[in-house]
Amino acid sequence: MIKTKYILLLIMGLSIMGCSDLEEDPIALLSPEGYFKSTADIQAAVDGSLTHAINEEIWGRKLSIALLLRSDMVDLQSDETRRVEMNTHTISGDNEMVYDPWTRIYLGISAANTAIAGADDVVEEDSVKNPVTAQAYFARAFYYFHLVRLFGDVPYFDAPVIDAEAAKSVSNTPEAEVYEKIIADLQFAKTWLPETVASRSIPSKAAASSYLALVYLTMAGNDSGSEYFQMAFNEAKEVINNAGTYNLALDNDFQTLFNAEKIDASLEPIFALDYNNVEAEDNAYDQTAPMTGIRGDDDDQGWSVAVPAMAVYDSFDADDYRRRVSFQTEATIGGVTVDYTEFDISGHEFAANRPYIAKYTRFPGPYAKSNKRATSHNYSMIRYAEVLLIAAEAAVEIGDNASALTYINMVRERARRGGESTNGGYVEEAIPASAVPADLSGTVTVDDVLEERRVELAFEGKRWYDIKRRQLGEEVFGASGYEGAKPDWNSAVDYDTPIPDEELNRMPNVVN
Amino acid sequence: MNLKSRLILMVVLLFNATLFAQDSYQLSGTVTDEANVPIPGVNVVILNTTRGTATDFDGLYQIEVSNGETLQFSYLGYVTQTIDVSGQKQINVALKEDAAQLEEVVVVGYGARRKSDVTGSVSSVKSDELTAFPVLEAEQALQGRAAGVVVQSNNGGEPGAPISISVRGNTSINANSDPLIVVDGFIGANMPQAGDIASLQVLKDASATAIYGSRGSNGVIMVTTKKGKSGKLNIELNTTYSIQSTSNKLDLLNASDFANYQNQIRANQGNTNTYTQGAYDTDWQDLIYRTGSTQNHQVSFSGGSEKINVYASGTYFNQDGVLINSGYERLSFLSNIDAQISDKLKLGLNLTGSTSKKNGVATQSDGSASVGGDDVVSLAMRFAPDKGIYNEDGTFATNDQIGDQVDNPWAVATQKDDDTTIDLFRANVYADYEIIEGLTFKTTFGLSTKNEFRGTYTPRTLTLTSGGVDGRAIMSEDKSKSVLSENYLTYNKELGKGNLTLLAGYSYQKTTNEGFYSEGTGTIDDSFSYYGLYTATSLINGSSGDVYFNETEIQSQFGRANFDYDDRFLLTATVRRDGASNFAKNEKYAIFPSGALGWKVSNENFLKDSKSISNLKLRASYGVTGNPSIGAYESLAVLRSLYASSNGETVTAVTPYQNANPDLKWESSYQTNFGLDLGLFNSAVSLSLDYYDIDTKDVLMFDNSIPWSFGLLNDEIITNVGEINNKGFEISLNTRNISNESFSWTTDVVFSRNKNTVETLINGADFFGSGAPSYFSVDNNYILREGEEVGLFYGLDYAGVYQGGAVPAGTAALTGAVAGDPLFADLDDSGDITTADREIIGNPNPDFTWGITNTFRYKDLDLNIFFQGSQGGDIFNMTNVQLYNGDANTTYENYNNAWTSTNTDTNVPRVGNNSNREISSRFVEDGSYIRLKNIAIGYNLPSDVLEPIGISKMRLSVSAQNLLTITNYSGLDPEVNYYGASGNNNTSSNTVRGFDFGNYPTVKSVSFSLNVTF
Repeated sequence: MIKTKYILLLIMGLSIMGCSDLEEDPIALLSPEGYFKSTADIQAAVDGSLTHAINEEIWGRKLSIALLLRSDMVDLQSDETRRVEMNTHTISGDNEMVYDPWTRIYLGISAANTAIAGADDVVEEDSVKNPVTAQAYFARAFYYFHLVRLFGDVPYFDAPVIDAEAAKSVSNTPEAEVYEKIIADLQFAKTWLPETVASRSIPSKAAASSYLALVYLTMAGNDSGSEYFQMAFNEAKEVINNAGTYNLALDNDFQTLFNAEKIDASLEPIFALDYNNVEAEDNAYDQTAPMTGIRGDDDDQGWSVAVPAMAVYDSFDADDYRRRVSFQTEATIGGVTVDYTEFDISGHEFAANRPYIAKYTRFPGPYAKSNKRATSHNYSMIRYAEVLLIAAEAAVEIGDNASALTYINMVRERARRGGESTNGGYVEEAIPASAVPADLSGTVTVDDVLEERRVELAFEGKRWYDIKRRQLGEEVFGASGYEGAKPDWNSAVDYDTPIPDEELNRMPNVVN
Repeated sequence: MNLKSRLILMVVLLFNATLFAQDSYQLSGTVTDEANVPIPGVNVVILNTTRGTATDFDGLYQIEVSNGETLQFSYLGYVTQTIDVSGQKQINVALKEDAAQLEEVVVVGYGARRKSDVTGSVSSVKSDELTAFPVLEAEQALQGRAAGVVVQSNNGGEPGAPISISVRGNTSINANSDPLIVVDGFIGANMPQAGDIASLQVLKDASATAIYGSRGSNGVIMVTTKKGKSGKLNIELNTTYSIQSTSNKLDLLNASDFANYQNQIRANQGNTNTYTQGAYDTDWQDLIYRTGSTQNHQVSFSGGSEKINVYASGTYFNQDGVLINSGYERLSFLSNIDAQISDKLKLGLNLTGSTSKKNGVATQSDGSASVGGDDVVSLAMRFAPDKGIYNEDGTFATNDQIGDQVDNPWAVATQKDDDTTIDLFRANVYADYEIIEGLTFKTTFGLSTKNEFRGTYTPRTLTLTSGGVDGRAIMSEDKSKSVLSENYLTYNKELGKGNLTLLAGYSYQKTTNEGFYSEGTGTIDDSFSYYGLYTATSLINGSSGDVYFNETEIQSQFGRANFDYDDRFLLTATVRRDGASNFAKNEKYAIFPSGALGWKVSNENFLKDSKSISNLKLRASYGVTGNPSIGAYESLAVLRSLYASSNGETVTAVTPYQNANPDLKWESSYQTNFGLDLGLFNSAVSLSLDYYDIDTKDVLMFDNSIPWSFGLLNDEIITNVGEINNKGFEISLNTRNISNESFSWTTDVVFSRNKNTVETLINGADFFGSGAPSYFSVDNNYILREGEEVGLFYGLDYAGVYQGGAVPAGTAALTGAVAGDPLFADLDDSGDITTADREIIGNPNPDFTWGITNTFRYKDLDLNIFFQGSQGGDIFNMTNVQLYNGDANTTYENYNNAWTSTNTDTNVPRVGNNSNREISSRFVEDGSYIRLKNIAIGYNLPSDVLEPIGISKMRLSVSAQNLLTITNYSGLDPEVNYYGASGNNNTSSNTVRGFDFGNYPTVKSVSFSLNVTF
C-alpha cells in the first residue's frame, strides 16, 4: 500500500535522529586523569619538564641572551627595546625577556609537579619509581634556582594548580624559603638519582650534588662568615672526590666543550640540556648561535645582536687558548675574508668591528633552520670545571688556600693544553700547548676565582649570577667596567628582575 | 542532436502521462504585462489540480481545460490572477505589477511567511543585487545591500580570501561571530554561487533567529537556490570577464634617496658604518603587481513537467590575481529536483558540489616566519630599492644591510608554492507529506562534506627562508563532514478571523572534523615542489592542532506558533531547546525562547482608505539566542605531548595543557527589537526602521586571569565571563522616484549604526592583545575595557617633536632623547615614558555604514550606481609603523617632513629617532570612506531582434568596481583587515579590528558581462 510506504518513510525520518548522550570522547587528546600508570609515564612528564628548558623562551634565547646582556661581558648591537632594557638595566615588567622566561620556567615546574603528583598514582616500590621521580625533583630545583636568582621572592608551587580561583590567594614565598625547598628537592634527587647516566642531559646524582654546591655558594653570597661556604665546599669536594665514580673529568681540549659533535662524549658536562636539530613546535629549539653570530658572513649568517665589548676581548690573555675558543676574530663576508676590524664591510647597520662570541657558532653541529638555528648542541648547564671553581672559591672563604690553589690550577692547567680549534675564523688549526695561563701561587683571593670563572665560563650565562651573588654591580658597571659606565645601574633595585606586570595584575597578593 | 534538444527530450521523458476528463478542450492565450509586453515563464495552473504549464518567450500558453475549472496565472513580482473557464477558447491576460511587493515571500526558519506578516527584523537581498557585479563568493555581494550587515574580505582583493560577515555588530569577543548560513534548509551550509541564488534573507532579531536557538545570536542568512519551473525549458548563459588592477600604491623612496635616508639615520644614531648604495633602482611594488583578470561563466537549465521540476547549473570561475602568481579557479555544480509524487507527497533533492584551487602568495604575515621571510606586500614596501632581483652570481638578492634579513618580494612571490584545493559536496533530500488537511510533516536528511588540501613548498633558491634547510615541503589535509536530520510538523488552521500556524520539530546534527599535517626539510629537488615531502631528510612534527580528530553533536527540539488576527494583529512565539556535546558536563542543554508582536496599523479603519499611507506596520520582539562557538573538547583537562629528545632518541614527553572547565556553556544574547515598516503613495516610498538592543551574557572569552605561573601551556582557556552590549539603528529605504513606460528611477538606501559596549570583563581587568606581526614585539596595542567599545587602539599619545631644552609640560620623551625625537603625553607625570603612559588612542568601530543604489532605466538601457561607505572608524597604520622605523624603506611623506636641525617646524620626528616600532597615536588615522562600489550600464536587446535567432533574452553590460574611493586614509586602502599576530582565525576577528598591515590590495576592476536566455 502506498500509505504504508509513506508511514515507513516517516518512521525512517524519525529514527535517523536517534538520541545521543552528548558525551565527548576525545580520541587524540590525553586526559591527565588516569594517565599515570607506570614509571614510563612519570618519565614522560619529566622529559616534558626538562624540554621546556631548551625552548626559545629559556635557554634557546630569551633567558640565555638576557643573562649575557645583563652581565659586563656582552654588549648590545640592536635597538630592540626589550634588549636595550637588559643591557642598560632599565628592565620593565612588560619586557618579553622577563615574562617569556618566567612563563616557560613555570611550565617546566608545572610539568615536574605533574610528574611528582602522578608518581603517587603509580603502584611501584620506591626503589623502582623514586629514581625516576627524583629527576622531577631535580628539574623543579633547577627551575626554581633560576627563578629565585632572577626575581628573589616568587610564588612557589609544589603541586599542579587545578583551581583557577587560587590566583586570588597566591602570594610570594620568601627567597630564603624558596632556597630551602630547592635544597630539599636536590637532596631528594641526590638520594635517589643514579651515579652515572646514559647522557649528561639526564639528571644524575653528580648533577644534584653539583647544583647543591652552587646553591650553597649562592646562598653564602658576599658574606665571608657564612656557613654556606663550608657546605658549598663540602658538596663540591664530594663531587670531586667521587669524580671516578661519577665518571667526571676535565676535558683535555677546551674547544670540545663548544663542539656539538664532540660534547656528548666528553666527561666534563655534569648536567646539559638535550638540544636536537629538530625544528619543534612552539620555538622549542636553540637560537643562541645566530644571536651571537656575525651578520652577513658566508658561514650562514648570524644576527649580530650580542657582541662583547672590545675591552672584554682585550681582558683575555692573548696566549690563553680560551680566548681563541671564545672569540671569532675572522670571517668571510661576501667572499672577502677579513679580520674583526673590517666586519662592517657587510654594510649592516649593527655590524661591529669587534671579535664576536664563537662558543656557539663555531661548531654547532647539524641544525634545522638557517642562521644556525635549531642546533644539536647540548649546552652544559654545569660542568666539572665549574665544580672545581666552586670548591676553590669556597676554599678561599673557609681559609683553605691549599685546596683553592689545587682546584683553580686544575682549571688553568687544562687551558694550557691547547687543542683542535680554528684560526679564529673558519680554518681549522691545531693549537699547541702554551705556558699561559700559568699556575697561580701564593694566596688565592676571591677575586682570583671570580676572574677565573669570568674567563673560563665566559658567555655561558654564569657571569650575571656571579655579579649578583657577589654584589659586583657598582664596580663592573662603573666607568672602569668593560662596557664603560652604565649610568642607569642602581644597586638598590637592579639585582632583582621585576615580576611581570601582567602576573602582578592576576595575583593581587604577589608583589615585587 | 544538440544539447538543447537532448535536454528537451529528457524533460519529455520525465513527463507523466496525464488523464484528462472527456469534456476537456484546448485553451490558449497570451500573458503580457500592463504595457502589453509578453511575459515568458508565467505559471499557468488549474486550481485544485496538478495540471499546469508556463508561457513561452512570446507569452503564449496552451492548456487542456474543462468548463468550471479555474485558471491561475502567477509570476514573481506580479499580482496573481484567477479566471474561471466557461467555454472560452482563448484567454489573454495582462498581469499587474505588484507594486507594493508586500506579497514577497520571506523564508524564515522551517517555513516561509508573507513579508507583510513577518514580525521580526528581516532584510531581503534580491538576486539581481547579488549578481550586479561579478563576485567569487555571494557574501561579497551583500556589502551595503542589507541594513545591519557588515561584510569584509579577510584579505583585501585576494582571490579566494574568506569573507567575514557580521550582523548587528559583534555579539561576542573570542567566539566566532559569523552568522549561521542555512541553504535550502541545511544548517551550516556553504554559500552557493551568486547566480544560483533565488532569494536571500538575513534574519536579524531574536524573534526571527531564536528558532535556531544556540546558533542564532550572530544572525541567520537564509538562502534559497533557484528551482525549476513547470513548462518550457530555459537555458541561461551568463558570462563575465573583468580586468583588475591594484587600486593604490605607496610613494616610497628611490635608490639614491634611500641610501641618503639610511646614512642620515646612521648619522643621527652616531653609527659610523656608512650605507653603500647598491647598483639598482627597483620599484618592488611595480614588480609584484600586474593586471589581473577574472572570468566567470555559468550555464543553467531550468524547466519541468507538471510534477517534476529541475534546475541545474554549472559555473566556472577563474581569476588571475593582481599580485603575481596568485590565482583561483573553481568549478561548481548545483541541481535541484522537486517532484510532486501525489497530492499529498512532495519529494525533492538538492545536490551541489564544487572543486576549487587557490594559488596563494604570502600576504598578511603574522610575523611567525620573520626570519628570512615575510609577506610579499609588506616586503615590497620595506625592501631596499637599491637592490635588484638577483645578485651578480644569479642568486636572489636579500636584504642584508638593514633590519631583519629577508628574501626579496619578487623571489618570495614567484618561488614559493602555496596551493589550496577545496572540494565541497552537499546532498539534501526532503519529503513533504500532508497528513491531513492543514497538517504537514517534513523530513530532511542531508550530508555536507569538505575536503581541503594544502601544499606549500619553499625552495632552496630562497636562500634565507629555506636555503639553510634545502627546501621545505608541507602537505596538510582537513576534512569535515556534517550529517543533518530534521523533522517537523506544521499545522495551519483558520480560527474565525484568525489564522493559527503551529510548528514543532526535532533536529540532530553531527559534525566530524579530522586532519593531518606533514612537514619536512631537505628535499631531493625543488622541481618536486611539495610532493618532494617524501624525499625529506628531516621530518617535522605537526602540532595537535594540525593532526586532530573531533566530533560534535547537537540535538534540538523546536516549536513556533504564529497567530494572525484579522490581518491586523500578528503574534509569533518560538522556542528551541538545544543540547550540544562540545559544552561542559554541567551545561549540556539550554532553552532559547522568543516572542514578537506586530500591528498592521494601515489595516485599521482609520488608515484603510488613506491615499498616502499604503502600509504601516509596527513590530516589537524579544528573545534569547545563543552562540555555541566552542571547539570540541574545550572544557576538558588536557595533557599535551611535546617533541623531546634524550640521549639522541626521540622520547615521549607530556606537559599540562589546560585545566577542566566543567561549567563552559554557550553565550546568550538577549535581544529587544522595535521596528516600523512604512509604505507611502502606493509604496512608491517604502521605509523600514529598526532599533535593537542586544545584551550578550556569559560571553566566551579567553580567561586572562590564570597566572602564567600556574604552568599551563594554554594559559587562556575559553570561559564564560564577559558581558557586552550592542545597540543599533537600521534604516532601509526604497523609493520609486520616477516610473513610466520608458523611464524609471529607483533608489535604495541602507544605513546602519551600531554601538557596542564592553559591560563586564574578568575581574574588571582590561584585556589586551596585539594587532601587529609578532616580530614587532608589541604586546598590547588593542584593549578591551569595561564601559568602552571592543578592540580600541592602545598606546602612547604622541605629542609632537622634541625641540631640545626643557620638555613641554605634560609630555616626556623616551630614554636618551635629543632634539628631533618624539614626545608623548606623560600621563602619570613621572617625567619618563613608561607603560603607565599608555592609553586608548583610537576606535576602529565606525559610527555608521551605509549604501545607496540608484537604478535608472531608459527603454532597454539601464544604469546602476552603487555607493557604499563607512564613517568614523579609525585605522591603526601598522604599515607606517614598519616603514617609519628606519630599518626599512620609507615614504616620501616621512623622508621629506622628518625633523632636522633646519626643518624644526614639523610634526614628524627625525629619522633614526629613539623610538622603536612606536605604538602611538601618530599612526592612528581616520578610516572613513565613500566608495563607488559599482557602476554598471546594461542593455537588453529588443525581442524583435532576438526572436528570429531563437533567443528570448539577451543582456550586455559593462560595469566598474571600486572605481572611486574618497578617504583621508594615507595607506593603500581604508577597508583594512589585518588579523594580527594570532593569525587568521575566528577568535581574533572580533577584537583585532582596524589594523593595516600587508594585506592583499583591494582591486579596481572593469567587467564585461553577457547574459543570454534561450
